[in-house]
Amino acid sequence: MAEAAIRPAALDRARVLQWMQTYGVYAGVAVLLVVNIAVTPHFLSAENFRTQAVQVAPVIIVALGMALAIGTEGIDLSVGAVMALAASVTALYLGYGLVPALLTVAVFAAVVGLANGALVAWVGVQPIVATLALMVGGRGIALVLLPQLKDLHNPALASLGSGDVLGIPYLIVIAAALALLVAFVIRRTTFGRQLLAIGDNRAAAKLAGLPVRRVLMLVYVACALLAAVAGVLATARLQASDPTSLGNLMELSAITAVVVGGTPLSGGRVNIAGTVAGAVLIQLLTATLIKHDLPPSWTQIAQAIVIVLAVYAARGRGKR
Amino acid sequence: MKHFTHRRHLTARPVIVALAAAMALTASGCAKSEDDAANKSDSSASAADAGQKVVTPKPGSKGCTIDAYGGKKLDLKNATVGFSQSEKEANPFRIAETASIKAEASKRGLKLLTANAQSQFSKQISDVQDLLAKGADLLVIAPLNSDGWEPVLKAAAAKKVPIVTIDRKINAAACKDYVSFIASDFVDQGKRAADQMIEATGGKGEVAILLGAAGNNVTTERTKGFKDRIKEKAPDLKVVFQQTGDFAREKGQQVTEQLIQSKPGIKGIYAENDEMGLGAVAALKGAGKKAGDVKIVTVDGTRNAVQGIVDGWISGVIESNPRFGPLAFQTLDTFTQGKEVPQDVIIQDGSYDAKNAKSDIGKAF
Repeated sequence: MAEAAIRPAALDRARVLQWMQTYGVYAGVAVLLVVNIAVTPHFLSAENFRTQAVQVAPVIIVALGMALAIGTEGIDLSVGAVMALAASVTALYLGYGLVPALLTVAVFAAVVGLANGALVAWVGVQPIVATLALMVGGRGIALVLLPQLKDLHNPALASLGSGDVLGIPYLIVIAAALALLVAFVIRRTTFGRQLLAIGDNRAAAKLAGLPVRRVLMLVYVACALLAAVAGVLATARLQASDPTSLGNLMELSAITAVVVGGTPLSGGRVNIAGTVAGAVLIQLLTATLIKHDLPPSWTQIAQAIVIVLAVYAARGRGKR
Repeated sequence: MKHFTHRRHLTARPVIVALAAAMALTASGCAKSEDDAANKSDSSASAADAGQKVVTPKPGSKGCTIDAYGGKKLDLKNATVGFSQSEKEANPFRIAETASIKAEASKRGLKLLTANAQSQFSKQISDVQDLLAKGADLLVIAPLNSDGWEPVLKAAAAKKVPIVTIDRKINAAACKDYVSFIASDFVDQGKRAADQMIEATGGKGEVAILLGAAGNNVTTERTKGFKDRIKEKAPDLKVVFQQTGDFAREKGQQVTEQLIQSKPGIKGIYAENDEMGLGAVAALKGAGKKAGDVKIVTVDGTRNAVQGIVDGWISGVIESNPRFGPLAFQTLDTFTQGKEVPQDVIIQDGSYDAKNAKSDIGKAF
């Protein structure tokens, strides 16, 4: 009797948790939108949505790369430093024009990604430690290259930061295109399947003959390149290169977006739509608190609560 | 993030070092940044007349002599001075501060030892101990924190090494643990920013504050001064919004973007440093506002912000003068000659507005 009474309740709870993990983030976004439309003055305007989207675009782009790393049961703490490095290199090479500067940024980011990937895949350092080294070292290099903030006046860079196509800012277009691309790679390509297989069970993937090391290298290179794109866009928007503070704590925002979006830290599964929604959720949360002039510490507390809820929901599934 | 800086994985270190060296070499070898020779006017020449002035000490304020402090007279020319900087020279204030100390030391022809704590208090403590061990006869310290100085001061007191702190006071006994401190009055900076805001807005309407980093005494004092003065002199001016911009330009931009959408009627923004103020300018430009639509008042006095006044985007800048060199060495010189020096040396900071921005931009740092 007692058993029969407990069983359905337990099942129910598991189902609720599973629902929360898959759809909780969308429900959260919906709730915040409804609440803000109801109580925040001037919230329901094209200008406001544009601002929120433009501000969240770099976070989304970084989070996409983070989702790939987390999908392999890894993590990349160096993304904020790569943003700073991208800012420095952009400023240093802008004299040749925007395109050469961006290509140089890509080379630098790729080198950082290769270093991360090599440490993880070949040396066998745990991702959190390997990328921690570059999180410190990367910002160090950025500051050696450009010791202080520098104003930039390149018109092409400025229009990248504030221009638009058909009324949609470049930042949003680029973030959306990259999200679609990463989702496609995960779902429809061999590389995507191999990535998930490695995250699911690296030993088994190796035994099955998958190119584990090559895939891991590519994942960390992709993650660094995405972070560099975000760094360039943030720099373009600010029209100044600020390696001291650009990308500070970005790794935490990105990890939060990924985890809140329903991608488990245990690897083997990546939810790109959820990741985008996770970044949007945090953006809306921050915007709500700022717009209502609540103490800044509340934002951190609110974020912490969201993370705890997400992790609690994820516990329902866990790794098999 | 700063607390991670000292942790590096052993395996990773050689790779990172090699990588760093390779990247730094490649990048500096063929870099070509935008031409900004026009912006780089000779700051050392113009800085000459931008030195710090002391507020006349209040009657009754205490002094300190070498007999009261202990130690022996010496000739500053033959002395070794140790300078401990708190933060990386990555912002205009710290760059100008360190440059000023170095310039004054070489002008006086004395030996200067320098150390930088890179924003880690534990490193600053060991920096100071190192400077003492290397034979510093005198110390100039830009403290990262006000508290926690006992171990260092004990070591210095045992050697009878005179200490002058600059830009921030340390919580210890003046003329016993250290000789004197030289700093700006941050509360007064806030008050003077409020005066400029009242003038720019006509003393009516809603204004916002972009706060500095949380838990920083500069933030607390600049906020207090501003709000007190507004309350006292312009009760019709309401502070309706105060959010942190962490003293960083990008954060200032993001917060201002939220602000101007939720409170489109905002008349003024008080930014507690120039960088956040310039972030606010970027946000206003991005939202299609015109120069002067929203009055911006900032604190620091960097070249970019003063240029902002010339361009019409910023209404006023209160200076926080970082050029401590001349005053710090003058204080040490007077003290080591056996004469009395004041325990609290408060600097008189200048200010910039539409009237003097163009002519005085050379004084900006």
